[in-house]
Amino acid sequence: MSAATTGAVPEVPAGSLVRKIAWHWRYDEKRELWIGWWTLVVFYNLYGLLFFVIARTQPPPPPSLAPAEIVRWFDDRRYGLLCGYAIVSIVGGATAIMNATLAYTMRRMSVSRAFAYSYLVIYALATLPGMLIMGVACTVGAMRPERDPELVSWLYDFAFLSFEGTMGVFLVGSLVWMVAVLLDKNRVFPKWFGYLNLCNALTEVVVAPAWIFKRGVFAWDGAIAWWINMAVFVTYTAVFLTLLRKMIVREDFGTGPLPELESDRALEPAGTLGAAR
Amino acid sequence: MTTVAGAEPRADGPDEEERTRGAPFVPGQPDMWVFVLFEALVFTSYFTVYVIRRTQSPALFLQSQAHLDLRVGVFNTLVLLVSSWAVARCVQAGREGSHRTALNNAYLTMLFGVVFLVSKVLEWTTEIEQGFSFTTDEFFSFYYFLTAIHFLHLLIGFVVLGVAVYQIRSPARRSQELVETCATYWHTIDFLWVLIFALLYVMR
Repeated sequence: MSAATTGAVPEVPAGSLVRKIAWHWRYDEKRELWIGWWTLVVFYNLYGLLFFVIARTQPPPPPSLAPAEIVRWFDDRRYGLLCGYAIVSIVGGATAIMNATLAYTMRRMSVSRAFAYSYLVIYALATLPGMLIMGVACTVGAMRPERDPELVSWLYDFAFLSFEGTMGVFLVGSLVWMVAVLLDKNRVFPKWFGYLNLCNALTEVVVAPAWIFKRGVFAWDGAIAWWINMAVFVTYTAVFLTLLRKMIVREDFGTGPLPELESDRALEPAGTLGAAR
Repeated sequence: MTTVAGAEPRADGPDEEERTRGAPFVPGQPDMWVFVLFEALVFTSYFTVYVIRRTQSPALFLQSQAHLDLRVGVFNTLVLLVSSWAVARCVQAGREGSHRTALNNAYLTMLFGVVFLVSKVLEWTTEIEQGFSFTTDEFFSFYYFLTAIHFLHLLIGFVVLGVAVYQIRSPARRSQELVETCATYWHTIDFLWVLIFALLYVMR
């Protein structure tokens, strides 16, 4: 990572946001990392908007719907599905930048590069069940409303099972990150984030009954298989975005332990909790 | 832009000075307690859903619950409580510098963990042979779900105990803090089981 600078770097300009952004673009040696972080923030917000508001495929509808009800479900949100998933297919490539940024955190750790590479591969695969298959299946279903209801039902099951039921890749991804954080000696992330990865991985297992149940709390729209998992996932995502931001601030492009933030050192208790880390 | 301090290596391990002074401290890594609290929250939400569903169909839940053998549940609970006692003795022995005793207690914890796993598999087998499977009714769905997710936590517990044993075995890498962190995880499994036992086997 290198700054696009030669000679003395001027101070960050006060006042205008545009001028500040221009300064960071030109002189900030962490420019690429910040682009990665902002891509993550924008993508996750956009993802929520597209899936929950525009396409309205989340929260998921019940798997127990009859073919006629499924056809009506597609009709009710036809243009939302078509437009929403058209945008998803356009912005889907952003996952490459996001995954690279997350893999970078593992490259900065004292652990083997195999962790970062495994993470990249597993999350490249995750784009399929986590986004693209559902997008294509829903778009195909919405494209021709006159299609046989049985075929539309097939697309409906295919879309939601691929999206809600295929959590294995995310499980492995979380475990890779967990082990990397726990083994790391460069203090890139706090150890509790490693344990939080385990919590997230365990909730991915909980989705498995969605392959069996068509109604109830274990179905793909159920309280346990979806709502609790979604709460954990949102918490996990908010936490890793916050920690990632902090990591970028701390980044010194060295190879040893990352320096602590002054604010964190001030908060550290004199003995007890902080010392026992 | 937030300022950063210079990189200073932090002591890896518990602050023994604080401990000997009798200052309050959290056993093991404080980070593990984040896991404990978060898992407690997640399981509390599972339990809440279970109780709500049970309230909506009390007759079905009572009828199905009657097919569980309370004695097996009590046995499971006692076995895990003894395993927790063993891991507590392991921690205590480590603090006193009796590493041989600590190691034996870690193995004893594993042994009771295995007893629990075997008894749970036998219980599942018996239930399935009697025709009560994951999809029989809502009570049994919860029964298999809660016991299986707990089973998975226990399997991870063996990896965790393996880390504790690895630490205790060599004076070069011995970290009392890590051993206590592992013990905290094991106690969490025990704690969660006691709640699952109360909800599935005892609550009427």
